[in-house]
Amino acid sequence: MAVTTEQVLEALRSVRDPDLQRDLVSLGFIKHLAIRGGQVAFAIELTTPACPVRDVMKEDARAAVAKLPGVTGVDITMTSQVRQSVPRGAAHRLVPTIKNIIPIASGKGGVGKSTVSVNLALALVKSGARVGLMDADVYGPTIPTLLGITATPEVDEHNRMTPVEQYGLKVISMGFFMKPEEAVVWRGPMLHKTVEQFLGGVLWGELDYLIIDLPPGTGDVQLSLCQLIPITGAVIVSTPQDVALNVAQKAIAMFKKLNAPILGVIENMSYYACPHCGQPDEIFGSGGAEAIAQRLALPFLGKIPLARLVREASDDGQPIVMTAPESPAGRAFIAAAEHLAAQVSIRGMQAELSPAVKVTF
Amino acid sequence: MADVAVPQPVEIGRANEHDLRITWQDGHVSVYPARALRLQCPCASCVDEMTGLVRLITNSVPEDVHPLKIDVVGRYAITLHWSDGHHTGIYSFPLLRKLCPCCEKTNG
Repeated sequence: MAVTTEQVLEALRSVRDPDLQRDLVSLGFIKHLAIRGGQVAFAIELTTPACPVRDVMKEDARAAVAKLPGVTGVDITMTSQVRQSVPRGAAHRLVPTIKNIIPIASGKGGVGKSTVSVNLALALVKSGARVGLMDADVYGPTIPTLLGITATPEVDEHNRMTPVEQYGLKVISMGFFMKPEEAVVWRGPMLHKTVEQFLGGVLWGELDYLIIDLPPGTGDVQLSLCQLIPITGAVIVSTPQDVALNVAQKAIAMFKKLNAPILGVIENMSYYACPHCGQPDEIFGSGGAEAIAQRLALPFLGKIPLARLVREASDDGQPIVMTAPESPAGRAFIAAAEHLAAQVSIRGMQAELSPAVKVTF
Repeated sequence: MADVAVPQPVEIGRANEHDLRITWQDGHVSVYPARALRLQCPCASCVDEMTGLVRLITNSVPEDVHPLKIDVVGRYAITLHWSDGHHTGIYSFPLLRKLCPCCEKTNG
């Protein structure tokens, strides 16, 4: 007797997405189910191409269906459709084509925010997502250097900019508009205008994720960003040292005050792996960011080692996720990006369940 | 989630011609008389930023002042555009909840 659609769906109900904590059928992930004799084919449409557990889910689904009597073969296609976590509405008019907006923040400067931003963004690009990177560090824009960009964006007659594309990533930076020896000396209103311009005045096109590299601190740029758009959530980068962690907590407090979710904490320069003996040396102490994430009940997205390779790749404008994805640091960045994508999916699910405030005035 | 301690508004609309009504996530409904809300504007020109003293002169606000437009600010606040031309106040959700007239009464 041939297997029925109901039987297959019933079997797939036993497979759960560990991040979203629901089964694949009620999440609406199962598409294009086709049964031909004993051959069962379907697609699993995930909420992100960078899903860290896609292989596990695929195998679980295959095992669950293969168990059914009469099934001789299971053919599963993995696809993805990133969901919108930014609430629609009036506040969303600036960036209608961007699904998720993720600022990368720290309290202290020099913790490697820009390097983390670039590598997270590129890891998401490599997974197949459509990604933009906004360098909002107007004082010290380093993104063009890290990505080896020498081109400048085109500006059309309506003063709208086309982002520069590098390694498949769409990039906009203050660095495109100033000479290396120039400095930005601005008060708040100018910074606000620039953030607004970088959001609404850029032809970003359809994006699954917009990563925003913030300047350090809790100042005008951060505030403008949280006022102009409902962000998906921020990522906090810190080194394991107390002096950095104390300031990182201030950044967390600022986002909480502005009701902006925190998607997670990344520990950068976590340890130094000696290139001669491989022995890890915890130069800045160990596990501090993880402990803070745990204490504040925030997701911990990963530890990135301090490595010469990361520094060299960054100076060369060829980020490590592109040049050495299999190195320990490359792997760490990719894993962190996958965990981030999972957190965004969880937020997206919550946004669907509890819609944003409705203004009927 | 740890970061959702304060109740969030579900709907912000009109209670009548001039007054504002907010329905909160926890089911509570707050009605804000327009002029009282205008007088509680938290912006730096209405309240001294350092001392917290109210600078806004009550008599200078028209009796029939009312909001013309409401903008949502990020995820945490609204801005009211008032009929007297004022629009710089950012009313955060926690502030609005604190200003709820019926809750203020029960709180003493």
